[in-house]
Amino acid sequence: MNLRSALKPGFVGGIVVVYLSAIGMVERFQDRNVITGLVGLGVVLMLVAFAITSYTAARKSDSSLLTGVAVGFISGAFVAIVTMGFEGLINAGLDVRGMFVSITPGLLETLEFGLNPVVGAFMMVVASTAVGAVSGVLVGLEYHLRSAVVFAIGITLLMSLGEPILRVTLGNLQIPTGWLYELGGLTIAGTIIVLALAFGLRWWWMSRADTRREAAAQMPEATRRTWGRASLMAAIVALVALPWIVGPFVSDVLGTVGLYVLLGLGLNIVVGYAGLLDLGYVAFFAVGAYAAAIFTSPASFLVTEEGQQFAEAGFTNLWVALPFVVIIAVVIGAAIGAPVLRLRGDYLAIVTLGFGEIIRTLVLSDWLSPYLGGAQGLTRVPAAPPSSFDLRNPQHIYYLILAFSLIAAYISYRLVDSRVGRAWAAMREDEDVAEAMGISVVRYKLLAFAMGAGVGSLGGVFFAAKIGSIFPNSFGLQVSINVLAVIILGGIGSIPGVIVGAAALVGLPELLREFGEFRLLIYGAILIAIMIFRPEGLLPNKRRQRELHEGQDLAAVDLTKEGPS
Amino acid sequence: MSHLLELEGVSKRFGGVQAVDSVDFFADPGEIVGVIGPNGAGKTTLFNIVTGFYSPDAGKINFDGHNLVGLKPNQITRVGISRTFQSVRLFAAMTVLENAMVGQHTRTKAGIYGALFNTRRTVNEEQKVHTSAIESLSFFGERLTPRINSLASELAYADRRRLEIARAMATEPQLLLLDEPAAGMNPAEKEGLIELIGRLRDEKGYAIVLIEHDMPVIKGVSDRVVALDYGKKIAEGSYDEVAADPQVIAAYLGKAGSEEQQ
Repeated sequence: MNLRSALKPGFVGGIVVVYLSAIGMVERFQDRNVITGLVGLGVVLMLVAFAITSYTAARKSDSSLLTGVAVGFISGAFVAIVTMGFEGLINAGLDVRGMFVSITPGLLETLEFGLNPVVGAFMMVVASTAVGAVSGVLVGLEYHLRSAVVFAIGITLLMSLGEPILRVTLGNLQIPTGWLYELGGLTIAGTIIVLALAFGLRWWWMSRADTRREAAAQMPEATRRTWGRASLMAAIVALVALPWIVGPFVSDVLGTVGLYVLLGLGLNIVVGYAGLLDLGYVAFFAVGAYAAAIFTSPASFLVTEEGQQFAEAGFTNLWVALPFVVIIAVVIGAAIGAPVLRLRGDYLAIVTLGFGEIIRTLVLSDWLSPYLGGAQGLTRVPAAPPSSFDLRNPQHIYYLILAFSLIAAYISYRLVDSRVGRAWAAMREDEDVAEAMGISVVRYKLLAFAMGAGVGSLGGVFFAAKIGSIFPNSFGLQVSINVLAVIILGGIGSIPGVIVGAAALVGLPELLREFGEFRLLIYGAILIAIMIFRPEGLLPNKRRQRELHEGQDLAAVDLTKEGPS
Repeated sequence: MSHLLELEGVSKRFGGVQAVDSVDFFADPGEIVGVIGPNGAGKTTLFNIVTGFYSPDAGKINFDGHNLVGLKPNQITRVGISRTFQSVRLFAAMTVLENAMVGQHTRTKAGIYGALFNTRRTVNEEQKVHTSAIESLSFFGERLTPRINSLASELAYADRRRLEIARAMATEPQLLLLDEPAAGMNPAEKEGLIELIGRLRDEKGYAIVLIEHDMPVIKGVSDRVVALDYGKKIAEGSYDEVAADPQVIAAYLGKAGSEEQQ
């Protein structure tokens, strides 16, 4: 090991921790208990930063333990010196906070572990060196053991961070939580139990991996299909039970996630299957929402004097309106698709981006505002009958969105391996050759746009029904970008990927709310990390994974797993 | 008018370049025609015109009773012309089998409805597509069939060329256009190619037009050879006749001859 290879990661670790401290994150997070009475989230944040830098450095070196220790030591020393520096400046009577607003006495206390500055600095170095040593040892461990340790620590952290939701959920399930949680963090006993359980389970699962693979390989096709169906049914049952377990707040988040799943599935047909980069997908979302509002709201221009009997409930009810909305969206989808048929790649992206904005601008225009409400939007979108089914109740609308998401997922699933799916795939790979193979590119592009538009408009309908009123600024570019990010993050062309992507991209920020203004910082960091370490997405389509990892160790990609997607 | 494919006075100009200059050309059923000429002679442009990628500025193209001028590439595939590309262009992220299955597109009908409800017709049709794709692939013996679930991008180069031909065969053509099929092949593989092209004609009954720079291959397979230079047809006849033609020699060996032509 040479010292220089430890120097850079060491400083990186130190700078990261100082940065996180200086923006106030460490101090704010310290208020949150991870293990009540022992560790706060601020300290955990620091330790994790040390661990990640020493772990990555140790992995690249021959003598992992030494490197880990060295990196940990350097990081810790850097932080300790900076802390003492600030302490010294404050003691010298300088107004440090004039520039570094977040360098508070509380922060310094955290960085010194509540001890006096010199002992605190010493403790910081000891702690970081210990974390570095542990990381170094971890690298040297056998794969199964390392994986189980990392898994156990990860699960414990997640259990602790998920406390607000998990406590409510467990409470709903009549499971006592007193032994596990205390004052927003895990109890010490709870921590030990969770660590041990997670470690044991992971260890057991991994030690049986070979047997499992063998059993799966020997399983006859029919049995495998039965298993696949059974697990799909179990997943659906779990999804149906979910809102009652997690309570109204999380149900509301689930509804939003579901909307993005629906939109993601629609865009996945256009981008993932047909390979048409559409940056204006929000247009169809808007069309769906506005069309639903016009048909159902009593405030709609369609409600006339003669139609007075309808006026109380709107022009018609949501169920009657639904097929018309979808037809309108499909027609508009094809109409938008038609002029851009000749465009490819970047050019297509730019033009669709324009269309997305055009729809929004049209809604705001003087010309259409008598009908679409302009900036005032359309309000009083009624719930769908029967009246016992309250669409404003997040636990109810969730089911509606779930049902249509399942339909959209089924449609995608059926299409991808059909003649239509093959034609799209061929077109995505090479438009000219697809045409030479007899595929009418015009027809299949229009079909993709129309189907994407139809599914997207459903998202719009439920958005309108969920919120009850719609405004043009809900339909900005941000929505298109988010939906695209959902499918890229999850894995383009993969149906489970869309679901996981939506959960991560839409659900996570909602659940991170307690971290206030740092929410987006964390979110961005997670996104960057995922795209660096898993460019193919979280749950990729196997094929794309093979393409991206061509020439790498293909054994690592589990191609044996074949299940309903 | 018993020609399968017949071109009359076909021309195409790109800006200042006359890429194809009133070329007459024909191919009969079961005939193998070699097209030769120096780089830039207009050979691939001619293919692109026949397959509908370019529309000719002038001239007529008839194929099996259809007028091809104005038809789109996919429509031309449907009437029975299939092609391969100069630089192998497979659907890289699709499996070997799927590449061949795409070829069956024009011979099948299933749409959204069939796919969603998995109707009996769709099931039968998918079965037929599968069988037909396997059949095309097994034309190459053991080269492609053991690898049907590999991605096309995972194949060795010569197998990619084979797959491209298999994919073209899956469209059930009457006429096959091969654009430099021997490019990048070693002498042994070229021998195999000569045999293969013969079998394509004898067993499948295709008429074949191939563009090729490799003279032994042209000599080995062609019933008739057409030479192009600067978009003009400069010679036509048996291999020996064309190879002995002074204009052809001039086009390949030196400027003097061809400059006189201009």
